[in-house]
Amino acid sequence: MVSTRTLEHSLDTNRKRTSDLRTALLFIAPAAIGFVVFYLVPAVRGVYFSFTRYNILGTPTWIGTENFEKIAVDPLFWNAMWVTVGYVLLNIGFQTVIAIVLAVMMQRLTKSIALRGALLLPWLISNVIAAMLWFWLLDYQIGLFNQVIEWMGASKIAFFADETWAIPTIAFVNVWRHMGYTALLVFAGLQTIPKYIYEAASIDGASEWTSFWKMTLPLLRPVLAMILVITVTGSFQVFDTVAVTTRGGPVNVTRVMQYYIYQKAFGEGQFGYGSALAVILFIILAVLAAIQLRMLRAGESDLA
Amino acid sequence: MATFNFRKAGTALAAVTALSLTLTACGGESEPAATNGGDGEAVDTSAASGQIDYWLWDNNQKPAYEQCAADFQEETGVSVTITQYAWDDYWSGITNGFVAGTAPDVFTNHLSRYPEFVTQGQLMALDATLEADGVDVDGYQEGLADLWVGQDGLRYGLPKDFDTVAIFYNKALIEEAGVDEADLAALEWNPEDGGTYEEMIAHLTIDNNGVRGDEPGFDKTKVAVYGLGLDGGSGGGNGQTQWSMYSGTTGWTVTDKNPWGTKYNYDAAEFKDTISWMASLAEKGYMPTVEAVTGQSSGDIFGAGKYAMITNGSWMINQMFGYTGIETGLAPTPVGPSGERASMYNGLADSVWAGSDNKAAAVKWVEYLGSAACQDIVGEAGVVFPAIPSATEKAQAAFADRGIDVEPFLVHVNEGTTFLFPITDYASQINGIMQPAVDAVFTGQADVDSLDAANEQVNALFNG
Amino acid sequence: MANHADTSTDAPVRKRKKMSAGRILAWAVMIAFLILSLFPFYWMLRTALSTSRSLSSDPSSLLPVDFTFGAFERVLGLATQEEAIAEGGSGASVNFWLYLRNSVIYAGAVTLGQVFFSAMAAYAFARLRWPGRNLVFGIFLGALLVPPIFTSLPNFLLIKNLGLLNTFPGMILPTFLMTPFAIFFLRQFFLGINREIEESASLDGAGPWRTFFKIILPMSTAPITTLGILTFITTWNDYFWPLLVGNSEGTKVLTVALGVFRSQTPAGSPDWAGLMAATLVAAVPVLILFFMFARKIIDSIGYSGSK
Repeated sequence: MVSTRTLEHSLDTNRKRTSDLRTALLFIAPAAIGFVVFYLVPAVRGVYFSFTRYNILGTPTWIGTENFEKIAVDPLFWNAMWVTVGYVLLNIGFQTVIAIVLAVMMQRLTKSIALRGALLLPWLISNVIAAMLWFWLLDYQIGLFNQVIEWMGASKIAFFADETWAIPTIAFVNVWRHMGYTALLVFAGLQTIPKYIYEAASIDGASEWTSFWKMTLPLLRPVLAMILVITVTGSFQVFDTVAVTTRGGPVNVTRVMQYYIYQKAFGEGQFGYGSALAVILFIILAVLAAIQLRMLRAGESDLA
Repeated sequence: MATFNFRKAGTALAAVTALSLTLTACGGESEPAATNGGDGEAVDTSAASGQIDYWLWDNNQKPAYEQCAADFQEETGVSVTITQYAWDDYWSGITNGFVAGTAPDVFTNHLSRYPEFVTQGQLMALDATLEADGVDVDGYQEGLADLWVGQDGLRYGLPKDFDTVAIFYNKALIEEAGVDEADLAALEWNPEDGGTYEEMIAHLTIDNNGVRGDEPGFDKTKVAVYGLGLDGGSGGGNGQTQWSMYSGTTGWTVTDKNPWGTKYNYDAAEFKDTISWMASLAEKGYMPTVEAVTGQSSGDIFGAGKYAMITNGSWMINQMFGYTGIETGLAPTPVGPSGERASMYNGLADSVWAGSDNKAAAVKWVEYLGSAACQDIVGEAGVVFPAIPSATEKAQAAFADRGIDVEPFLVHVNEGTTFLFPITDYASQINGIMQPAVDAVFTGQADVDSLDAANEQVNALFNG
Repeated sequence: MANHADTSTDAPVRKRKKMSAGRILAWAVMIAFLILSLFPFYWMLRTALSTSRSLSSDPSSLLPVDFTFGAFERVLGLATQEEAIAEGGSGASVNFWLYLRNSVIYAGAVTLGQVFFSAMAAYAFARLRWPGRNLVFGIFLGALLVPPIFTSLPNFLLIKNLGLLNTFPGMILPTFLMTPFAIFFLRQFFLGINREIEESASLDGAGPWRTFFKIILPMSTAPITTLGILTFITTWNDYFWPLLVGNSEGTKVLTVALGVFRSQTPAGSPDWAGLMAATLVAAVPVLILFFMFARKIIDSIGYSGSK
């Protein structure tokens, strides 16, 4: 890897140093229009609403930072924050590890497309259906899993609503749905690693285990960085699974941030307050993404 | 050169931004057209024509309303396009429609939503037009029409149907317990020891070893059949199908007056006693805990034979009687300390959107929906109870044809033991406060006196 | 592999033996995950072949309860409304083939546009040198973090004001030009392409357009196909946006149309058999698509330039 990097360096010095700005602008123009119209403008409007009292139907009234001051002392906000963080940690931890394991196995163990397809299957159904299906399978009274638990003589578990089980259960459902998908992303990343590197490693007598840690993982870094950023931001936005099952309850056990935002903005007609919550979430996610990208040096590749 | 290009690109970007901002802004905050009918002014429905949109959420009722629409078109020439959305999508669709100016001309409205729609100026006041057309609003089941009069004294909907609460029971489980079905109609309840009602619930409960809840050795941690089911949660601030039929017999009222109360009574002893009693049932293993039922649709659990009895609303009749292998019966809710039964009384209505561009046809359609001609058709379909008494009877007959005696629901209407669904401002915010608060008492995470603080929070909403 | 373990006892073979134990473990893990993935689908199939109203009577039966194809008939629009309601479901007038066509148009158009335009942008972010590149990329990436509550309503208004409600362009537009994920995904892969090839093309006098079309795109078949499949599936499963913007008969997509099998009333039960049948049927086209293109994802390793 060191050698390829120095190679790139030498190539760099040969390169014509003129800027590609004009070309680059042409290349990003269509995407830029999509970005500005469908993301930036709505986001800017949202930020504006976060400084207002507004219920979607009326006219927004400017109230400065009042929403943010209220949020700072809103126990439900802090509750939602901790519930969400707990969910994200569980979800990301399991999903990432499982995805890497599956992807490596997809590559090293078998070339069967049917098998890859089977692992991707959960991702082909929507969040809502996945949640409903598992909610049913895990139901306290008629769910298959609790029947099995009872046959084994243990006490049934209220998976989706028990204080200890609820968040792990919701995390499980989403890991189930996304593991094949994330594995496919990792797998696509594995495909970018040239064969000669593995060949070289096996000639050097490196075991599969060492070559994974010493070669595969470092070379996967740009793709892994992307996957982490995507899955972390994605899982902070968990909503559907809660909305079709427990709706935040019982008490506040499953009131994740997006659900709380939705409840405030649409359910309770406090769009300004909901927007302020969303702005805070946005800032947290932006900081997290920046840290992740920096730590994983996502902009560089060890290869080229 | 680089900077020059960059600036040019920046200008282009700014132009696009400005364009999309204006596009979003215009029509964004669409003001309800106040041309006519704005402040209860009459519209002339005699020349109604053209096409209107109508939304509802219950697909099972769609065939009946399609029939109404066909008859209506024959009579007036107005064509009605009916669209159905499932409950959750329905309200998102209505809200988005209000904002974007694409809401339906007429839609099925719910008591928990309409006060906010009135505040936001989205509903058309119907009084003047109804009066001009000579529509009699006294022809509905008593009290239903009053539900839809706003704080400003104006009418925002015409009743279409109503619902009450009764006990659904599993005939096989009742028989197995050696209980006569007629006994279920004679139960009495009080918040201290639950009365004969709790005795019955205990007796109907069976653990995995076949031991009944009122027998020694009953294992409350392994219950096979609960004497009483629980409908999807604690019921939050109104407990319509969970506890309102008990609290309603204690003399307690949710608010100081109804509709349009401005003070809630969640700190009253009667209410707290009722909730404590409910929590005690779960604690004794006679009723599932809130954790076990959160988010569940209770019908499927009843259909699996896990509940001997469950309180639920009349809109569930067809589902509850539809399960294969379960023989379902109906009993009225128990008599409480007041010496009477009680049931929450909830009604739906059809409302006209203030932004409709065909108000004449819209009001005409609402009038037709509220007339005996259409409600009879709805009644004959035997899905819900229409608001006009003659149509209610048709529904009762339609249910009877299928062997379902719905008297336990109608007894409340006939004997005047209904009380109205609480209608106040801030309904959704109040639910946001009360749902977790009542949950917490049910789950044992908080003492029942914690409801005092929740009540204060609720009442603070009304004091600015 | 296990079948190579013959009688000789020298070191490399012992090493292979050790690996085969690892392989058995790996297969065991793989099979466990396969079961975890597939079992719920078996459960869906078993439910879809049951009668909705009978399901509760035997909730843990591994076989269909009261076997019937009724649910599939309802999904394919072969049952009358009366029949449907009698079986505990709803879903009259499901014009299945029309909705399938609409879904294909919607997901297909979004995929084509999004992948192409995002690839262009990703190329500019990964391979071209220009001032402010990383800053602009960072801002684009920010779109990933914009909460959906900010975007759905304004975008709905915009589409309405453009007069595009209930049209395919209106449904397609917001995701046609980019999604932050697509750009991010392709940029990361483009970063990994060996520069030598690009350099030599550039020395041969190829401009950025030619480099993009003749080198970058062909060398990135694997990630582009992967992204295409992912985009197609995501769009195929879209529910809320097409419900909002394309709810007329001519533009209604499968997910929206099959929503009738979900619970209609606030506390009611869904038509479980119908819902599961609908989910399975709607997943079949994407599954076929996956198998059509899966070979491409796997076989196009060669782009690292080291064949």
